[in-house]
Amino acid sequence: MAISGAPAPTAPDVPQAKTAVGRAEAARGVRYLFTPIMLALLGLVLYLWVKSLELDSIEQRTLNSEFISKKLWEHVKLAALSTVLVVSIAVSLGIVLTRPGARRIVPVAMGITNIGQAIPSIGLLVLLGITLGIGFGYAVLALVVYSILPVLRNTMVGLQQVDRSLIEAGRGMGMTKGAVLRQIELPLAVPVILAGIRTALIINVGTATLATFTGAGGFGDLINNGLRLGRDNVMIVGAALTALLALTIDWIASVAEDLLRPKGL
Amino acid sequence: MIRLESITKVFPGQEKPAVDHLSMDIPEGEIIILVGPSGCGKSTTMRLINRLIEPTEGRIVLQGEDVTGVNSDELRRRMGYVIQQIGLFPHQTIADNIATVPRMLGWDKKRTAERVDELLATVGMDPGIYRERYPKELSGGQRQRVGVARAMAADPPILLMDEPFGAIDPITRDRLQNEFLRLQADIKKTIVFVTHDIDEAIKMGDRIAILQEGSRIAQYDTPARILTNPANEFVEQFIGHGASLKGLTLAHVSEVELADWPVAQGELDRRALRDLLVRSDKSAVLVLDEGRRPVKWLTLRDLDSRGSLDEVGLSADRSVVEPNATLHDALDLMITSYTGTVIVTEGDGSYKGVIELDAIRHRVDEIRRAAVERMRKEPGAAPADELVR
Repeated sequence: MAISGAPAPTAPDVPQAKTAVGRAEAARGVRYLFTPIMLALLGLVLYLWVKSLELDSIEQRTLNSEFISKKLWEHVKLAALSTVLVVSIAVSLGIVLTRPGARRIVPVAMGITNIGQAIPSIGLLVLLGITLGIGFGYAVLALVVYSILPVLRNTMVGLQQVDRSLIEAGRGMGMTKGAVLRQIELPLAVPVILAGIRTALIINVGTATLATFTGAGGFGDLINNGLRLGRDNVMIVGAALTALLALTIDWIASVAEDLLRPKGL
Repeated sequence: MIRLESITKVFPGQEKPAVDHLSMDIPEGEIIILVGPSGCGKSTTMRLINRLIEPTEGRIVLQGEDVTGVNSDELRRRMGYVIQQIGLFPHQTIADNIATVPRMLGWDKKRTAERVDELLATVGMDPGIYRERYPKELSGGQRQRVGVARAMAADPPILLMDEPFGAIDPITRDRLQNEFLRLQADIKKTIVFVTHDIDEAIKMGDRIAILQEGSRIAQYDTPARILTNPANEFVEQFIGHGASLKGLTLAHVSEVELADWPVAQGELDRRALRDLLVRSDKSAVLVLDEGRRPVKWLTLRDLDSRGSLDEVGLSADRSVVEPNATLHDALDLMITSYTGTVIVTEGDGSYKGVIELDAIRHRVDEIRRAAVERMRKEPGAAPADELVR
């Protein structure tokens, strides 16, 4: 070997790498397809089962496609709007709280958001209902308060786990603080933040069933109706639809996580 | 080029300043090494230059311009910055990483892409292979090269390097150091280089500033003068044992006289080779290929052997140096070389001559005599020369 000789060119082992990637992609394809097929099958089973029942007039009033689509739409609106709000509030707050100047208010902010999650969800909804009022808006507010913690915590953890040397390198090359945040910190925190958002979504889909008690609609109406009127079938359909919706959204979120994860990690 | 005027940094909550009224001039086109024990403030000093740390007191003057108060982000874009952890952005391709500063400076895509390819080639990496790769797909040495390429992207006149080779295995480090020195010979940047390793400082530096606690300069001088004439006990202790062996890293192969050696090229004729060898009183003939590159040694025993000459002999690969290698490297190879000599080649790998032990001894003697001569001329040579004000 010659001293100070040119570096030996590394032979790229392309074919090997390609097959490994190919295999991983195939595995992911199976995973992507398996869940929706299962969910579609479960939905079909539920539909056929309801079809096979002889419904009385009370059951017919709720177990029809018009009523169910209306409740589905209400439920999705509750979960989606609250999640959008949670994301915009918690991610911004998370960014602010991880800036060097904000170290002192971190425990306070975390304490407050912790209270949000520590209160039982039904208690929170009812409390807000009594003190502020009932209806869609207040139900969304309750969901926001209840699910802000996972997103906030994951945003902070995601930003804090970014290697300090990357920030130092970026700053050292003349990137502004904002550019470091946008181009380095946030992209690298995306996987952790997305995991938090996914948790918040699932919490919101589940907790939104309780919104029926403050008159905000959703699948909770089916469950509540079934319960009050002694119609088990209605209750079962409501619960099963909520579960199906939660699983569907979780699947969508998992696909989004894969697509949005930065390459090269 | 860069002038620090009584720079002081006191970190909040600390009484002692991390950098205490440091003044120094950094001349253009040289590698200046800041070296000192842990906690002496050398890294802080470097970060004060590009104002990653804002000085408490003092001025930074860059090419005659006081930059103590200018926009620090823009100031940093005028200086390349390499750190020990390199800090390549893992979610960006190698090309995007290198393009960081050009993007900020608003270069157009074509110019940036051309510059990226040029830089990758400069640091010895094939742009076609590496442009679209991600940092995790590279080895440590390759990442380090990309780090240097990234720092040079917008062709800044100044490079700041904080232990750039610190986290790399010794063999790769040695190679990268040599590559970097060769590169510097072309680009002639002003480089401020921080290390805690005195051997690296001696090898890499045109000038070395040995720093004590509080970034106080113990000695700021050329490596040769620091080795032959340490300013005080602190410097002496910091250099440690074996100053003359270390001195060998300062002298280069190109400075010693090369000796002749029996060589053979082309069609090999046993009898002619035998004659050549016997007449030369050496132990082996050096065989060169059609490009005059050293291939192998053939001894008398090889020449007497029955098999084809293509199959016998000892490879010469392990005893080849280039003219820019240090005598330290040469001596190191010499000790293990089969014939007790080192082959010197040109840049293109073709044979130039050999070095024997006597040549190195002779050169060491010359260096020592020159140092003694200088000391006699400047009695009690002060540690502070014209550069330390």
